[in-house]
Amino acid sequence: MTALLCHAAFLAVASLRHSWRRSLLLALVLGLSLGVPLALASLLERASTDMRARAAVAPLVLGAKGSESDLVFGALFFAATPPRGLLMQDLARIEGDGLGQAVPFALGATAQKTPVVGTAIDNFDRRGLRPATGTMFATIGECVAGSDAARALGLAPGSRLYTDPASLSDLAGVFPLELTVTGVLPPTGTPDDGVLFVDLRTMWSIRGLGHRHDDPAASASPGALIGQDGERKIAGEALPIERKATDGIAADFHFHGDPSTFPIDAALVYPADAKAQAILLGRFTGKDETLQLARPDQFIERVLERIFGVGRVLGAVAVATAALVLLVAALAFALSIRLRADELALMRRLGASRGRVAVFLATEAAILLCAALAITVACAIAAPLLAPLVMRLAAG
Amino acid sequence: MAGTTAPHATLIDTTTLVFRRASAGGTAFELRVAPLALARGASLAVRGPSGSGKSTLLALLSGELLPFEGGVRTQGRSLSSMSDAERRAYRATCVGQVFQTFELVASLDVLENVLLPFRLHGALSLDDAARVRARELLGRVGLADKSRRSIDQLSHGERQRVAIARALVTRPSLVLADEPTGNLDPALKRDIAALLIDEARAADAALVVATHDESILGSFDGVLAIGGDA
Repeated sequence: MTALLCHAAFLAVASLRHSWRRSLLLALVLGLSLGVPLALASLLERASTDMRARAAVAPLVLGAKGSESDLVFGALFFAATPPRGLLMQDLARIEGDGLGQAVPFALGATAQKTPVVGTAIDNFDRRGLRPATGTMFATIGECVAGSDAARALGLAPGSRLYTDPASLSDLAGVFPLELTVTGVLPPTGTPDDGVLFVDLRTMWSIRGLGHRHDDPAASASPGALIGQDGERKIAGEALPIERKATDGIAADFHFHGDPSTFPIDAALVYPADAKAQAILLGRFTGKDETLQLARPDQFIERVLERIFGVGRVLGAVAVATAALVLLVAALAFALSIRLRADELALMRRLGASRGRVAVFLATEAAILLCAALAITVACAIAAPLLAPLVMRLAAG
Repeated sequence: MAGTTAPHATLIDTTTLVFRRASAGGTAFELRVAPLALARGASLAVRGPSGSGKSTLLALLSGELLPFEGGVRTQGRSLSSMSDAERRAYRATCVGQVFQTFELVASLDVLENVLLPFRLHGALSLDDAARVRARELLGRVGLADKSRRSIDQLSHGERQRVAIARALVTRPSLVLADEPTGNLDPALKRDIAALLIDEARAADAALVVATHDESILGSFDGVLAIGGDA
């Protein structure tokens, strides 16, 4: 029996290798037709698990009125820009009477195309997240890298990088600022892995609300001082603005204006209890309300329902296609056997039984199926890696 | 007795064989062959026009077909009394076959084509001795340096040499060749016929060759005419 199987495997491999293009095409078509529905199901399952887990990070998300989708996907997944209009002082409406805690987020900047997220230390304390190496950021210009971001950019504690400049046409936009990496977070399997976290003051500095410069009167640049009103010096446009917060000069950074009026993009809200949550939800439903309080879990369920609806249709189409492809592949294999009728007849004439010839053909089909199944399994394994893509597509 | 050759003990003998089947045109085809006997080392040419039944006679001798009347006996047993499995074993172990169109497997190289019979029946074992025998035969037919070549890379004459090596590799007692020179140019015909006779004789096998090629008939120990020329 062993000898028979060895001979069958030898002849099958020789035959498949001889017509390798046909063999490869058949294996690919079969593997993909089976793998695509499986991959789709696997992908949706992984994406839904990830999205539900992320939605569970915070019971509520506060933001300016506008797209609920942009708010939730922006605040939780850093994959959208929340509606503008939320200020630091708005957090008092959550925390003022002890109904809960609000953890602010400011988004919109990037460094080497990696999102930079401004937040408070509370964000990490809430989730027990500490750097795997190095320390947490402490002052302006310091950042903590997510594990994927650190790997992709080759960052480690002590590394430095500049934030990306805004486009030339965006006069009020983001300014480059040098960042120093103080720590790298452990892998979490969440969107946190792909971003750089900074203090809110750093984000405001990136946005141009905070900066450092020399004394205009002492500056060597002509036109740095354009006037003086008593003690108050009036700086001109020629005064160089320092974009580095490193080398111990972070303390020289200062902000013009009241920090409570500085913009943020969203806040994760942790109500004190269920009653506080109900009160907070009612607080932001007024007709003239300029803010919204979203429930991420409910929102994500609505999104997943939509995705799974589309997924079910795609799955049904894929299964029907797979059945058709299987049929066509079976016909193609049957045709190839007919084309080899002379070869099979020769085997019979040389003494092979029908059963032996059948074993040869079955072995060839089995090897082909194994190759197809390997492709199918590869699809199913690789599909979950695309889960972040589904989330981005869902975020629009 | 036409075509009877007996330099040694009889290997295979037949009574008058009768085989019938409906031809493509609907008219009945009947083959009637007088009794014959073959000894190891003997060679017999079966001549006759196309459609006269030369290939059918070879199929009757190999046990692939059974006669309507008469019988083929080998080593004391009638092929008709054997089971299908026994006849397959007989064909695999005792008969070597060469076909007009070579019938080589395109997916196997020269050496593996020669070794193919060992993969087709459990009674044959593909061991080192078989491989040595195959290489030795390839050397004898002049293809020692082409054992790993693809069949597609061989000329017609070389392919027929591979087929001859394959027919002899199992050390059969009977070699059946159906128009082995049919697809070859005249210069090659004599070479191939001589090679087949020499190798069969060297292997002490009886050789039956179906041919309508008059130019090679003189090389055989005997000639059996069937059909229109009978």
